[in-house]
Amino acid sequence: MIHFYGVVEALEGLPEIDGVDAQPLERRRIEGLDLVLSETPLEPSEVTQDAVLAHANVVEELMARSAAVLPARFGRAFANEEELADALRAKAPQLARGLNLVRGCVEFGLRALGGVADDEPSRLSGRGYMRARLAEEKARQRLATELHEPLARLARASTRFGGASSDLLRSAYLVSREDIAAFSEHVRSLETGHPEVTIVCTGPWPPYSFADNGEGDA
Amino acid sequence: MSSAEPQTLKQQVTLLDLVDRVLNKGVVLSGDITLSVADVDLVYVGLRVLLASVATLEEPRERLSADGARP
Repeated sequence: MIHFYGVVEALEGLPEIDGVDAQPLERRRIEGLDLVLSETPLEPSEVTQDAVLAHANVVEELMARSAAVLPARFGRAFANEEELADALRAKAPQLARGLNLVRGCVEFGLRALGGVADDEPSRLSGRGYMRARLAEEKARQRLATELHEPLARLARASTRFGGASSDLLRSAYLVSREDIAAFSEHVRSLETGHPEVTIVCTGPWPPYSFADNGEGDA
Repeated sequence: MSSAEPQTLKQQVTLLDLVDRVLNKGVVLSGDITLSVADVDLVYVGLRVLLASVATLEEPRERLSADGARP
């Protein structure tokens, strides 16, 4: 089986670490793309925390040594090189666009918690309660946008994650290396400007959230 | 001052973000799917155990300064 870590561009050299299941890393050129993978004689590896961390570790090292990396999502394995080549061919244009997008960039993740004060809705009833909830929801949306937009302007691309989360804002930003300082500075100013919100910014990450089309609109 | 955000929260979110990225983001090529939903769930369960232990380890000290702002 082949475990695939990602497509790279201008990779300086393979990092001297093992991949998933302690298998050595290999670099191959398939379908005109520069790939990093490892082969394992074993059946598809179990999803263990170690395997996930090993994958993440390899991708992180690749980011540090290349002009661009498109990280692969964990959990796909290929029987042989031919199968991998078929899959790459089917996606070649998106991969080329992806490399162009992420070149020279890193990703930051942002979560904002808290925010709008609870108006003691338990004291209200019926329509009053609904109105209060609605107003609160609107205020939350406004605040989330207020946090998101200036950061998005500093990024080459950004995406807001929806889903059933109680977080005020969950988002990711693709930031050019030259703009990292300005971006971090702005995160700090948001923290200072919004003491009612807990802002957690993580990264720099390899551009996982911008590697596949569909995610992340410019 | 404002950078005194609870370290445990930051660590936990970082770990969550990491696993979330590796398992749910990134390039998907068609191919054999080796992960079942159950497998992915298992990772999250394992992670939750890990997060819980991180939190337990550091909570007593952080609690004092975290001003109740826990997720």
